[in-house]
Amino acid sequence: MRGPMVDTADGMMALALKRFRRHRLAIAGAVVLAVLASLAATAPLIATILGLDWEAVDLLNRFAPSSAAHPLGTDELGRDLFIRLLYGGRISLLVGLTATVVAALIGTAIGLLAGFYGGRLDALLMRFTDSVIALPLLPLLIVLAAVDLDKLGLPSSLVQSQYVSLYRIIAIVALVGWTTVARLVRGAALTVRERDFVLSARGYGAGGFRIMTVHILPNLISPVIVATTLSVGNVILLESVLSFLGLGIQPPIPSWGNLLTNAQELIWTAPGLAMWPGMLIFITVIALNFLGDGLQDALDPKATD
Amino acid sequence: MSDTPILEVRDLCKRFPVRGKGPFAGKSWLAAVNAVSFRLDKGETLALVGESGCGKTTLARAAAMLQPPTSGSVRFEGSEITGLGNRSLKPLRRRVQMIFQDPYGSLNPRLPVGAIIAEPLLVHGLGDKAERRQKAVRLAEQVGLKAGDMSRYPHQFSGGQRQRIAIARAIALQPCLVIADEPVSALDVSIQSQILNLLRDLRDSRRLTYLFISHDLAVVRHFADRVAVMYLGRIVETAAAETLFDAPRHPYTRALIAAQPVIGRGKRTAAGCLSGDPPSPLDPPSGCPFHPRCPLAAALCRESRPELEGDSGHQVACHFKNEGGT
Amino acid sequence: MTGFLFQRLIQSAVVLAVMSFVIYWLMGLMPGDPIDLMISADPKITSEDAARLRALYGLDKPITERYLNWLGAAVGGDFGFSRLYAKPVPEALLPALANTVRLLGITLCLSLLIGLPAGMAAAIRPYSKTDYTINLLAFAGISLPAFWLALLLIIVFSVFLGVLPAGGVAALGGDGFWDQAKYLVLPVANLTIASVGGHTRYMRAAMIEALRQDYIRTARAKGAGPARVVLGHALRNALIPVVTIVSLDFGFLFSGALITETVFAYPGMGKLIFDAIMGNDYNLALVALLFVTLLILIGNLLADLAYAWLDPRISYR
Repeated sequence: MRGPMVDTADGMMALALKRFRRHRLAIAGAVVLAVLASLAATAPLIATILGLDWEAVDLLNRFAPSSAAHPLGTDELGRDLFIRLLYGGRISLLVGLTATVVAALIGTAIGLLAGFYGGRLDALLMRFTDSVIALPLLPLLIVLAAVDLDKLGLPSSLVQSQYVSLYRIIAIVALVGWTTVARLVRGAALTVRERDFVLSARGYGAGGFRIMTVHILPNLISPVIVATTLSVGNVILLESVLSFLGLGIQPPIPSWGNLLTNAQELIWTAPGLAMWPGMLIFITVIALNFLGDGLQDALDPKATD
Repeated sequence: MSDTPILEVRDLCKRFPVRGKGPFAGKSWLAAVNAVSFRLDKGETLALVGESGCGKTTLARAAAMLQPPTSGSVRFEGSEITGLGNRSLKPLRRRVQMIFQDPYGSLNPRLPVGAIIAEPLLVHGLGDKAERRQKAVRLAEQVGLKAGDMSRYPHQFSGGQRQRIAIARAIALQPCLVIADEPVSALDVSIQSQILNLLRDLRDSRRLTYLFISHDLAVVRHFADRVAVMYLGRIVETAAAETLFDAPRHPYTRALIAAQPVIGRGKRTAAGCLSGDPPSPLDPPSGCPFHPRCPLAAALCRESRPELEGDSGHQVACHFKNEGGT
Repeated sequence: MTGFLFQRLIQSAVVLAVMSFVIYWLMGLMPGDPIDLMISADPKITSEDAARLRALYGLDKPITERYLNWLGAAVGGDFGFSRLYAKPVPEALLPALANTVRLLGITLCLSLLIGLPAGMAAAIRPYSKTDYTINLLAFAGISLPAFWLALLLIIVFSVFLGVLPAGGVAALGGDGFWDQAKYLVLPVANLTIASVGGHTRYMRAAMIEALRQDYIRTARAKGAGPARVVLGHALRNALIPVVTIVSLDFGFLFSGALITETVFAYPGMGKLIFDAIMGNDYNLALVALLFVTLLILIGNLLADLAYAWLDPRISYR
């Protein structure tokens, strides 16, 4: 049934905004993410200003402590950690966002089909989703990350590409990251398809595709936004652990995950190197989770105040 | 009037599966519409009247092929339309349109009004973008909206205006039959008459046929040519509007008429007023479905269900239809 | 009820069958099949020799036929030989399984013992200070990269404090209780921190939902005290969704175990699978992965049973 104000989009937005503002952690999350994203985006500019280079090796200056020249010190090859963190952030955030968007598209399609058609298709798709959720995903992702792309018959120009590890990680993380979105979209689609405007569209002869894309999907924006926000964090965690294990983003491209790959071996000599990349992953993911939680509260149609 | 009715419904049944309670209960069935027959001639307005839950909406949706009936036949201009797939129904969808009760739920909140009104045209591939736009503006003006309203969204309108939008959308395809499911009952009384007048004007200017569903006899009295009264999924009385209101013969119809508030008289007449709620359609009473609430009920009523009988002008399903008259 | 469980049983069997084929197929796509290894070991092998060897090992046959052969052997109890451990696969698998069961068992108990009461405490007064703090900690746990947390634990407790071992399990000689336990402390702590946040959030959400119901208001109106309302009325209903989610999380928990075991060099199933994949020991990786999947599916089925026991309404589904 209709709750108070639910249908007045202006009122709905105002209400959502009011609820969101109450969520101080969510606002803090949004601010932190904005800062991190702009730092990562302007990394080349910052590098030029500081006169640093993310690739410059300086073997005479390994494991340097933080100094004016190297704000966070240097790594085992004498490269500046701060600039490498910024460049790694570019990759980690970009991969996280791209993989999540791909996953959200898959999840939306599956959830929409299940929720709109219902019946057997719904049962089948949801059993499939449940099964994927229950699987031990990390070992499977490791297998997928280790697969020899030549044997899959992919064009060698792609396989030899410098960025193949990027494409691969986006593809495999998207392959398992769609489940949250699918479930939320399906639930919401089940509700929306019962509304009279869907029946009315059927009444003037609109086909299933049109009803799904024009009438149902635009009314599912809030659950998709919430689920996507909550997924980005998971996706970034997955990317980082795979890169940490040496199966994700391949050096020389830096990512927050693969910056930690060597940290375990260097733990006795330079424990500081393990601090920063992990800290950035942690801050990014917790900010995303706070933001997602705040959005969920703000956009929850059940909440009334 | 031509001889072929525009809509003819025969023995229409619509049942819904209901999950039983308890570990070993099987599925049971709820008969929302039970062996209903009626015909609707061109230009005529037939009102389906009854309490909420009597199956009017289900009947309307089954007749519009929005929910396929369980059994029975629906003929549109003489040809059978039950069992047709979505593709074969599409040409028919141009000629039959629905207006829904809740103007808050029947308009997609994410589309601007212009797009809502033009959508049926788009779905049927009529005209190019500019033509559809023009047509939508004309339709909007016809139902009393302004051309400037076209880019606004449904939530910016009042209930009555929204119902005007829904009406403009319904007539966009120039249908011959409009099924209106309680089109005014969600509106303020002052707005109701405006919308009814609009529907009446459209009927006259576009030679529309209406299947008009309502629980409100006052609305029906001056709007419908013929009235069919439904109770628990069946039609219990049908007659021309005047006849039905002046000389109702089914005790249920009498009770409905008596239950109406009458201006100038503070209290409703106690006699013939309905007591209690309608029985659950999951577990309908034996015999005449109305007997538990009927002032005339006798042993016969508990045992056998009266058929809908009478001449084509006035049919009643009651064992005592010729007694206790007014 | 039997119908419901039967349906779930069939579903699990289908998932296992599909998984076994998919993983078998993926293993065939890994770099370095046995012939590749022989070729790299012996530069004199010609391409004809390689083809002959492939035929000998049956690698020239279509994938479905090879899979069915493998499946036939596996059903007959022959799981192949682990190259890495130079043992039949089951012999390499079982000690690792025991280690992982110990790790996950302790972790799950700890995580639920902390997470469920914490979630309840948060749910009793939503948006209070208690709730705020618990939420913050839960989110921190969820957002921590488990492998990084493991590194931090090692840095603090092994490098700086030097009180706990950085990895491995007790050496053969030292089998006293503390000797064994101290190798478990960091991995268990790591995995518990990684999973307790999720359990807390589930419990909180389920409890808030349960406390929203009408019968709770009725109970309150009848004068039942807050403890009675929460423990007597809401808890049972809140536990129903929690049981499902926790059981769906076994896969996630195992993923965490893989990370933890790898960083702490703890010889469990996760590390075994990782080492097997990295070391081209595909017989072992395949069987171990399927075995873990099987265990997770059994865990889910047990959770379904618990669910049916907790929720009388499930019986006629």
